[in-house]
Amino acid sequence: MDRTSVKIVVAGGFGTGKTTLVASVSEIPPLTTEEILTEASVGVDDLTGVEGKKTTTVALDFGRITISPDVVLYLFGTPGQDRFWFMWDELAQGAVGAIVLVDTRRLDSSFPAVDYFERRGIPFVTAVNRFFGECDYTEEEIRGALELDPRVPLVWCDARDRPSSKLALVTLVRHAMKRLTARAPA
Amino acid sequence: MTFDTWDGDDESAAGRFVPLYVLVNGRTAPRDSTLDLATQVVALPVDTRRLEPEYTAIVHRCSTWMSVAEIGAYLHLPLAITKVMVDVLVEQGYLGVGTPAQQNIIDLHLLDSVLAGLERL
Repeated sequence: MDRTSVKIVVAGGFGTGKTTLVASVSEIPPLTTEEILTEASVGVDDLTGVEGKKTTTVALDFGRITISPDVVLYLFGTPGQDRFWFMWDELAQGAVGAIVLVDTRRLDSSFPAVDYFERRGIPFVTAVNRFFGECDYTEEEIRGALELDPRVPLVWCDARDRPSSKLALVTLVRHAMKRLTARAPA
Repeated sequence: MTFDTWDGDDESAAGRFVPLYVLVNGRTAPRDSTLDLATQVVALPVDTRRLEPEYTAIVHRCSTWMSVAEIGAYLHLPLAITKVMVDVLVEQGYLGVGTPAQQNIIDLHLLDSVLAGLERL
């Protein structure tokens, strides 16, 4: 049956505006789906002090954009807590790429996301979210701090603003296409 | 001698009497491993009267194409359970399945249409 799903991951540290970005472009209010972690997965989750706790719930926020009658784009925000890496793998597999949101007041909170996509060779763009106010850093300073590959696009955005979020998405898709063309045999 | 007693703490405020693992026969993963959370499914025109209510709810929800993640969100089911239930329904011919997002090759033609779609936003 011809109905194709396309995924884009929206990543970044806790409170960088992932759900805000999804909400600004999604055709439905962002939905939340939950995954329940049982004892089998507590190895990655520090339960010291809460040993009585048997399960943990990880919430995933996502939105959708209908591209054409048979293609739907899903935007998945990563869980805020870094320890849920196993969820990232499912989100990233087969995805067009990722938008890594950056809050300049807490650059370090976006390190793990940059590192994750870089290591796996998944195309990503960094989007510096400016809704927190004026940004005191230049693009060079941010690139330096995040140790970004010069080929990784950096866009300035306001995650609340639809055109601005749209620009981040368009930049990502163009970047992914460029990488695909570069890799293809001549 | 002590007994295990039910402490009344149930899945939801409304009370779920059938544990979720019973609904899926204790299965933890879909048989079709390409089924991912963005894969879309749609109800096929078949009689659902033999299905259990939890399964019927999924089929009804899919009167239009719907992803596994959306089904989970609308029906308040954990993702792993949703995936297995959807897989059972696909296998038994209640749901038709679309092309999963989980492919290694993303072709340029598809990216081209995604780009055009985004630019129209």
